[in-house]
Amino acid sequence: MTEKRKPKTNLLVLGLTVFGCLLMLVFGLRVMRALDKFDGVPQPPPFAAADEIETDVETIEDWMTVPFISHTYGVPPEVLMKALMIPVKGNHKKSLKELNEEYYPRSDGYVIDTVKATILAYRSSPAPDVPAPPQP
Amino acid sequence: MSDFLLTQVINYGAPLLGIVVFIGGLGVPLPCTVLVIAAGAFARQGILPWHTTALISIISVIVGDSISYSFGYYASERVIERFGGSPRWLEAEKAFQKWGPLSIFFSRFLVTAIALPVNLISGTTRFPFRKFILFDALGEVVWIFGYGGLGYLFGSQWEVVSEFLSNFGGLVLGIILFVIGIKQARNWQIKKHQLLH
Repeated sequence: MTEKRKPKTNLLVLGLTVFGCLLMLVFGLRVMRALDKFDGVPQPPPFAAADEIETDVETIEDWMTVPFISHTYGVPPEVLMKALMIPVKGNHKKSLKELNEEYYPRSDGYVIDTVKATILAYRSSPAPDVPAPPQP
Repeated sequence: MSDFLLTQVINYGAPLLGIVVFIGGLGVPLPCTVLVIAAGAFARQGILPWHTTALISIISVIVGDSISYSFGYYASERVIERFGGSPRWLEAEKAFQKWGPLSIFFSRFLVTAIALPVNLISGTTRFPFRKFILFDALGEVVWIFGYGGLGYLFGSQWEVVSEFLSNFGGLVLGIILFVIGIKQARNWQIKKHQLLH
């Protein structure tokens, strides 16, 4: 039995191969770039207590909400809302980006910068209402 | 889209993630892998309960996959009417019976871009549903626990893992297409050579 291929089939296979090459090139480069970032993260962070607190404020992003940041960074939500001069009620499910667009539309990035600064300030100054540790 | 969904996952938790992966299982292109890795990190932070989240996600995505299988299954009559019985159709059907389990398994987590076509082809070629569910469930368990587990392991650094895995899937898809193309061209060359001699 002789099989005659249609030019369409030839084109399809050629297209598939070229598309495969393109995908390999694009995603290969992106994988390499992601691997470069991995160099800075050689191993997963060690496990601390179940309620471990994040310390690097640079990991804060504008999709995060105030309660989420509050939980992750161990800073009360009232402290963050007070610094932002935003009412707590009705805003706890909004992302930092949404808060920025709603309350500070003219100052791009104001909310995320304020949140970062507030967390750093909260960390550096001991909270006045924290009870002293009990004496042994 | 990812940012909006990430905000909603931290607001509404496992049920929202379940809805998203269900819709993803139906074939709507959503950043499900990113969300699964992030959910692992959120579980580590105590934002989501890992067991409930994993269970809801696995069940939801399997239901979504089964529905997209049924789309292919119920559309198969028309497809068979048009192509059924032709040598190429029979060849394709035979190939899917052979490679189907592997395609179903790996398209759940490694080459997610072809998950929908694989579900539809499974249904159209009347690949046994029980076998489909078995390999689908195995693949989805690897996806949820493997990728979610990496998110859990890397915690706040989950985005680095997500970037790597999302692009790695694209790279694997490129390699598969390239290999298929080269193999097909080689087969043609061999046939041509045989005809000449």
